Amino acid sequence: MTLSDDSATRTTERPVRKRGGLRSRRPVVLIAGLAAAAVVGAVIVTVATRGGDRPATQAAANAAGAPVTGGTLTYAVAGTQVSLDPAVAATAVTGLIDRNIFDSLVAQTGPDSFGPWLAKEWKVSDDGKVYTFTLREGVTFHDGTPLTAQAVKASLDHVVDPATKSAYAASLIAPYKEARAVSDLVVEVTLSRPFTPFLQALSVPYLGIQSPAALAKPVAEYRPVGTGPFSYVSWEKDKRVTLKRNPGYAATPAGASHQGAAYLDGLVFEFVSEDATRYGALTSGQVQAIAGVPPVNADKLKALSGFTLDTQETPGLNYNLYLNQTRGPLRDVRVRRALSASVNVEELIRSIYFGHYKAARNPLSATTAAYDVGAESELASYNPTEAARLLDEAGWKEKDKDGYRVKDGKRLTLVWPFWAEGNKDQRDVLAEGIQAQAKLVGIQIDRPTVDTGAFVSKHLIGGGYDLIDVSFARPTPDVLRFAFASGNTYAKAGGNVALVDSPEIDKWVEEAAETSDPETARRDYAAVQKEVLKQAYVLPLYTPVQLVGLSGKVRGVTFDAQTYPVFHGAWLGA
Amino acid sequence: MPPLARWLARRLALTLFVLWGTATLAFAGMRLVPGDPAHVIAGGVQANATPEVLETIRAQYGLHDPLPVQYAIFIGRLVRADLGESYQLNQPVSTVVLEQLGATVSLAAGAAVLGFTLALVLALLTAGRPRAGALTRALEFCAISTPNFWIGILLLGAFSFSLNWFPVLGEDGPRALVLPWITLALPIAGVLAQITREGLERALGQPFTLTARSRGATENRIRLRHALRHAALPVLTLSGWALGELLAGVVVVETVFARQGLGQVVVSAVNGRDFPVVTGVVVLAALTFSVINTGLDLLYRVVDPRVRQAAL
Amino acid sequence: MTAPALARPYRKVRPGLWAAWAFLALVCCAALFPALFAGAPDQVDATAVLRGPGAGHPFGTDQLGRDILARVVYGARASLFVGLGSTLLAGAVGSAWGLLAALGGRAVGEAAMRLADILLAFPGILTALLVVAVLGPGTRNATLAITIALAPGFARIVRVQALVVRDSAYVRAAINLGLRPWRILRRHIVPNVLAPLLILATLNVGTAIIAGASLSFLGLGPRPPAPEWGSMLAQARNYLDVSWTLALFPGAAITLTVMSATAAGRALQARYERREP
Repeated sequence: MTLSDDSATRTTERPVRKRGGLRSRRPVVLIAGLAAAAVVGAVIVTVATRGGDRPATQAAANAAGAPVTGGTLTYAVAGTQVSLDPAVAATAVTGLIDRNIFDSLVAQTGPDSFGPWLAKEWKVSDDGKVYTFTLREGVTFHDGTPLTAQAVKASLDHVVDPATKSAYAASLIAPYKEARAVSDLVVEVTLSRPFTPFLQALSVPYLGIQSPAALAKPVAEYRPVGTGPFSYVSWEKDKRVTLKRNPGYAATPAGASHQGAAYLDGLVFEFVSEDATRYGALTSGQVQAIAGVPPVNADKLKALSGFTLDTQETPGLNYNLYLNQTRGPLRDVRVRRALSASVNVEELIRSIYFGHYKAARNPLSATTAAYDVGAESELASYNPTEAARLLDEAGWKEKDKDGYRVKDGKRLTLVWPFWAEGNKDQRDVLAEGIQAQAKLVGIQIDRPTVDTGAFVSKHLIGGGYDLIDVSFARPTPDVLRFAFASGNTYAKAGGNVALVDSPEIDKWVEEAAETSDPETARRDYAAVQKEVLKQAYVLPLYTPVQLVGLSGKVRGVTFDAQTYPVFHGAWLGA
Repeated sequence: MPPLARWLARRLALTLFVLWGTATLAFAGMRLVPGDPAHVIAGGVQANATPEVLETIRAQYGLHDPLPVQYAIFIGRLVRADLGESYQLNQPVSTVVLEQLGATVSLAAGAAVLGFTLALVLALLTAGRPRAGALTRALEFCAISTPNFWIGILLLGAFSFSLNWFPVLGEDGPRALVLPWITLALPIAGVLAQITREGLERALGQPFTLTARSRGATENRIRLRHALRHAALPVLTLSGWALGELLAGVVVVETVFARQGLGQVVVSAVNGRDFPVVTGVVVLAALTFSVINTGLDLLYRVVDPRVRQAAL
Repeated sequence: MTAPALARPYRKVRPGLWAAWAFLALVCCAALFPALFAGAPDQVDATAVLRGPGAGHPFGTDQLGRDILARVVYGARASLFVGLGSTLLAGAVGSAWGLLAALGGRAVGEAAMRLADILLAFPGILTALLVVAVLGPGTRNATLAITIALAPGFARIVRVQALVVRDSAYVRAAINLGLRPWRILRRHIVPNVLAPLLILATLNVGTAIIAGASLSFLGLGPRPPAPEWGSMLAQARNYLDVSWTLALFPGAAITLTVMSATAAGRALQARYERREP
């Protein structure tokens, strides 16, 4: 911020500076000033219109060719984290980094299938409460500790230990009762109730198996030590995390494209939260890969030779707008459906994300198991006339001078708190579009800016909102229980922000989590998807897509079921 | 007591007073805020802390104590140069500040050098030359009236995104610093160049210039050796202001170029209501400016004997 | 203020200054009657996103297909509100403050000026940031924040002027004549303090506009979708690679407005100083 004319201001206050004023007595000055501004503008115009047709740096010439060992890959990601302990931090970026350090007991190989990883085999008791895992032999942690049944027990106990203060990882295995080392390589886990999402939970990085020796150290000295393809070197807060190759790596998961130690010598995660900057860092060659290519740049990146764009639709809950059904006008299902019908989601998503994100018509992403195509028929999709009719019917007939609907002297206003720190993917722009379209049918949407403290206490816990937006990636339909079961409100560490309180939905999601019959589960999950759309508890917006930009030199990056990039088989070509 | 010592003692007292006042205002602000900082401390939205954890945090940070007690503890810590602990980063504020200080100082220092040099060169080249003067004056006027974040955005768009001359990611080495330096330097260069030129023009009109010319001194020599010395005084007066501008500009410029630094720390602390950090940086800024201004006034007294007679 | 005849010959025709006044008038009109200049600023059009200038959209469209011209025109209101509002408030608060410091007795005066010293000890943006941290972001709070940052500057000048006037011969004479203090304040001190105050205010409008734009650029001012020049630039930052109009026009609007306001302020200042050589 410049105090543009402070010197002139001060001429009056201190006599010494009396003649220091910036007076310009010549008529040319202002004209020339305006001219200069025009020149600057013209330069920008010429320069900007020339952008894009920059000479190709590195053609992806030898697309094939044998993998080469060596080199360091720098991957720029948005966001930062508070802890590297996967059991503690629930942030997505922690999972992304820790995935390379920690292996899991099992690997998710498809929407609903699992293969061996650290556990080479397992069996489940008939009542669904006892899981017995047989571990791979000869696996050691980065610190030399061998992988044993005791280590697995220590890791799981660490997650559920209240002293760890784990919010997310512990909630994934809520029914966990105890683990017992049957022998050196056989571990038996007992649950308090049957829980089919257990294997999926075990496959995520947040429940990666940690070295018991590392966990025994005090919290302040915590270093992540796992069995993964890369081991931890350093963490410069808010800047980067550096990993190096684990030369003795052998515990590759089922379905891996590459066996043995990683090709890369080192792997660096660079934290760059600004979208445009991250993108620029890739195209200028400062980093070799970035997460979250801005959709607006995606086509350009694809067209640039020397770069590739990888797109992965994330499974789990889409980016949805949840309608708090316990408060104000939204208690009326007609108003909820009217809001849903007033927004042309399809068109907004297309224009903001340039076709790189797909508009969603179901709270669940299409790549999730038990996704029900038929459910979208229940969605109140874009139809402003219908929206107006519903609002009239609900008694919001009058319009005030600003064009908003009123009933009993009160305006139809919905509060949608804006938590600036959580904003990403131009979601604020999308919200502006939604506001504009809701206004056309007479609904006012207010977006007060709130800080973290107020967002949590006043809104998420206090329920002081009408609308709230969130996405949640996890490749299992059990996310429906997370998002809609009455016992899973935010205050109880869940994701039910629409504050749905429906005995039917509760019954369906509980039954689906406990049953061993896939058909029952599928039917239950489908019923939930239909019901939440019919009641308009949720307005699906888009399916988040991992847009990973890679330099042409980077080969062999694959993606796991969670859509995290896997660097184990990655290498740097010429 | 000799006058200089008395003057220094007075300045020291004033500095301490300003620091105390700033800290007190910041503390008052901190307590005026509605809402519970415990959630921020607990780690925000994703941590989803239980009431027990929140209670522990409140006890740990002394949020239950009566206000005068909290104030006494706060001031007591400040006296021992302890700025407290950040709510969001779980680190002492001094660590946070020290980590980022380097980046910010290198940004501000480079911009200061560039700004002063640019101003000096422009003024030397154009003083007493009406046409060139009018043109640069217009440019200076533009520079002064343009918000520096817009300058930054234009430079970034042109030279980083389109021409690819400079890296977009602003952390590595001096090349990444060039555009931020220019962005910060232009507005202050605009002001300083005007002041310097006016000083030069005044000096060039004075009898000693004529004397020097008649002794056969070249134009360059007159400008560099004689006139410049006379123009230095008003520039010196304004440099305190210019340094303030620089450090203020840092807040915005770091955001534009997505650089790490104190400015980013402050902005995210304000957004996240991380008061210990806000307070720490504000107190530090007040200290810096008091020290710089004292130093400049001291220099001023040395350079210009007339000021010594004046009151302050 | 009438310029004495003596100063006339020096004055030339100044088209630049006229342009500045004209532009200021234009901005004021835009702020008062935006509908005269452009269509709706929040009309989303998903079929025309990030277009360059062309038919129907002389400045092009933004990321939601909204007309940039309309948003720049409607943005004038927010910018002028923050700029003029905070200057007027700061002028009022600062005058009261400065008069209090000058005429309120020794202890009160000392306290008032030391408070101003504290606030003037570091750059305005930090004061403004601190105030926003306390009050929270938003148009009104940003205006208040800038007011608090600017007020001590006014206080200082008003105090100096008031002291000069108080000690001047004619006020002494008035006191000797036995006029009441209130009358002296109203008839003699206020009018003489007013002129420099007005000049400072004009010069500060530019500063305040830039400060307001900076706050909203940092996401601490008016919230989108309300059109505002600073927050438009903050969004443009994300589309530098694709669209130049988005970054060009709001920035040019700020710069031209500030330039015009400053030029006008300086012209007033020059006139005033010539009046009292």
